[in-house]
Amino acid sequence: MFRSLPFRASHLIACLMLCLVLAPGCAPKKSATGPAKIVIWSQMDPEERARFEKNIAAYQAAHPGVTIENVPYDTENLRQQFQTAAAGGGGPQLIFGPSDQVGPLSLLELIRPLDETMPKGFFDRFVPQALDTLNGHLWAAPDQVGNHLLLCYNKKLVPVPPANATEFLEMAKKLTKDGVYGFAMNVNEPYWLAPFLAGYDGWVFAADGKPSLDTPAMRDALGYVALLKSKATGIMPAECDYQIAETLFLEGKAAMIVNGPWSWAAYRKGGVDLGIAPLWVLPNGKHAMPMIASKGYSISVNVPKEQLDAVIDFVTFCTSPEAELRDAVALGVLPSHKDAWNAPEITSDPTLKISQDAFTMGRRMPVVPEMRVVWDVMRPGLQKVMNGSMSPADAAKEMQAAAEQQIAGMKR
Amino acid sequence: MLRAPRSFPYSLLLPATIVMLAVVLFPLGYSFWLAFRNMSLYHFRTHEFVGLDNFQLVLTEPIFWTLLGKSLVWTGVNVFFHVALGVLLAILLSGPVRGKTILRTMLVLPWAMPQYISALTWRGMFNFEYGAINLILKQWFHLPPVPWLSDPTWAFVAPILTNIWLGFPFMMVVALGGLTSIPADLYEAAELDGANGWEKFTNVTLPSLMPVLVPSILLGTIWTFNNTLVVWLVSNGGQPADATHILVTYIYKVAFTYSRYSYAAAFSVVVFLMLLGFVVYVMRRTSSQERTA
Repeated sequence: MFRSLPFRASHLIACLMLCLVLAPGCAPKKSATGPAKIVIWSQMDPEERARFEKNIAAYQAAHPGVTIENVPYDTENLRQQFQTAAAGGGGPQLIFGPSDQVGPLSLLELIRPLDETMPKGFFDRFVPQALDTLNGHLWAAPDQVGNHLLLCYNKKLVPVPPANATEFLEMAKKLTKDGVYGFAMNVNEPYWLAPFLAGYDGWVFAADGKPSLDTPAMRDALGYVALLKSKATGIMPAECDYQIAETLFLEGKAAMIVNGPWSWAAYRKGGVDLGIAPLWVLPNGKHAMPMIASKGYSISVNVPKEQLDAVIDFVTFCTSPEAELRDAVALGVLPSHKDAWNAPEITSDPTLKISQDAFTMGRRMPVVPEMRVVWDVMRPGLQKVMNGSMSPADAAKEMQAAAEQQIAGMKR
Repeated sequence: MLRAPRSFPYSLLLPATIVMLAVVLFPLGYSFWLAFRNMSLYHFRTHEFVGLDNFQLVLTEPIFWTLLGKSLVWTGVNVFFHVALGVLLAILLSGPVRGKTILRTMLVLPWAMPQYISALTWRGMFNFEYGAINLILKQWFHLPPVPWLSDPTWAFVAPILTNIWLGFPFMMVVALGGLTSIPADLYEAAELDGANGWEKFTNVTLPSLMPVLVPSILLGTIWTFNNTLVVWLVSNGGQPADATHILVTYIYKVAFTYSRYSYAAAFSVVVFLMLLGFVVYVMRRTSSQERTA
C-alpha cells in the first residue's frame, strides 16, 4: 500500500503524525497565565474545602477578571506533586497545607521566604503560636491554628468528661457494654501518641535537634496507650485505626474518641451530640499535651514578578480576620489572626473557647524536615507495641536507632 | 509518479519512537544516572557523582535481602495461583456449562475493577472485628477471627489474597483463548490412545497452552514483582510496623517519604537488572526449547 502513495503525500502524513504527537507539548503552561489566574493546590477536609470555595467565590466577586482555581490533594500527594512540579519549573502559584510541609519545601528552595515576600509588618497580625520560623525565615502565612487533639465525647453517653486517668478508665470501662466501646482512638499513628509523650515530659527532638525517642517518657507513653488498647482493660476495639474509631463514634458505638477540630463538623452533621474537652491528666499528674500546628499558604518560587502582587493580595484576603472568622465559626477551627482570635464569636463560643484553652496547653509541632522521618520511624514501633509483639522499651530503642539511621541516610 | 522511498516506514515509526524515547528510555537512563549521584532532600540541587556508593549501600544492607525474599514469595505465590486458578476456570468454562457468558463476565469482573478500589475494599473486609472475612469465618465456619492487618504474617497474606483475586481473570482469559485454538482431533487421538482426563490435560492441553501461557506468565511475573499499589493500599503503606513491604513498595517509601532519590534509584536499578536477567533467561530457555522441538 505504501508503494502506491505519492512521495510528497507520504512525507506529509508522517509530518502530520509527528506534529500531532508533539503538539500537546507546545501548549502554554496552564499555571502561568498572568495575574488573572491563580492556581492553588491544597490539602483540605471536605467541609474545609466547601468553606474555602465560598471564600474564593467572594474574592472573585470582589475582583472581576481574577480566577482562582483550587486543586485538592491529600497531605502526602500535595507535597510530592508540588515538589515534582515546582522542581520542573511549573506547578501552582500557591500551596496550602499543614505547617510541617514547609520543612522539605524550603530546604528544596521551592517556596519563597514570606518574611521577605509579603509587605513589611504583614506577620504582626498573627498570634505568635501561629508562626513557624525555619532557618531564620517564615515560609507560610497561616489562616488557622490548631490541629490539636482533644477528647471528643458523646454527651448522650458521657454527661461530664473525665478529668484524670482514673476517672477516664472507670468511665470507659463502665460505658463498654452492649456493643458500645467506652473509648476509641487511632492507635496506629504516632500523632496520637505525641500528646501522651509530651504529658510524660518527653519530646520527639532533644534541645540539640537530634531525635530523642529512646527515653523514659517514650516508654511510659507507649506503655500507657498500650494499656488503654489492651484486651485486659477492654475499653477499645481489638483493631482501631482512624476510620474504625471515627465510624464507631459517628454510629454511637464509641462514647469517647481522641480527635482534632477538623472532625467536629462531620460529627455534628452525623447527629452526634458532641462535647469536647482537653485531654485528661495522666497517671503522673500532668496533662496530656497535644501537638499544635498551623495551616497556611506558601508561595512557589516559580511565581513570576508580575504575578506576585495578585498572589499576595489573595493570601492577604484569605488571612484577613473576616475570612478567618467565617471559617472558624463554620468549621470549628481556631483563627491565626489576632483580631479574629480575640473576637467574641470565638471567645463566647463554648466549644471554640475549650479548643482555644486546649490549644494553649499544646506544644508546637517541629517543622524541620527530619520530622517526617521521626513520624515514620515511630509508626512501626508504636504498631508493634499495640499488637503486643514488642515491649515499649525495645520499641523506643528501635525507633531511636531507625531515626538516626534514616536521618543519616537523608543527609548523606 | 514518484514512489515512497524505503525510508517511509521509518518516518511513520518516528513519532512513536520519539514518544518511546521520551517516556521509557529517558526515565530509565535518568534513573541510572541518578543512581550514581547523591541526590536527596539535603542535596537536591547540589548533588554530585558518588560512584557505586549507593549500590554498595543497597547490597550490603540486610533489608535488601529480606525484601528480596518477600518479593520472591509475593511474586511466586501470586503467579502460581493466577495461573492455576486461571487455567482451571478456563477449562471449566470451555466445557458444557450453563450460563457460560454470565459466569465468564462475573469472573472477569475483578480484572475490570480499578485496582485501588478493590484494594481498599479488601482492606475494609480484612478488619479484625467488622470485616466481612472474619465475620464469615466466625459465623459460617465457627473459626476464631484472624488478625489480618495487625499480625505481620497475616498482614502479608492479606495483600497476597487480594492480588490473587485481582490477577486470576487475566490468566483465565489468556487460557480461554489458548484452549479454543487446540484442535479437537488431538483430544480424539489421545482418547484413542486410552488417555484419561489427567493425561489429556498434561499431554495435550498444557503443552498446547504453553505458547500463550509462557509470555503471559512472564508478563504476570514482572507486573506482580513491580506491583506497588496492592501491597501499599491493603497494608496501608507497609503496616504493621513496615512488615509488609516488598522491594518496590520500600523503594517508593525511601524515595517519597525520606526523599533519598539516588539511593532509591540505585535500588530500582538493581531490581531492573534482576528482572532483565530473569526475562533474558526465560526467553533464551523457551527459544532453545522451541528450537529443540
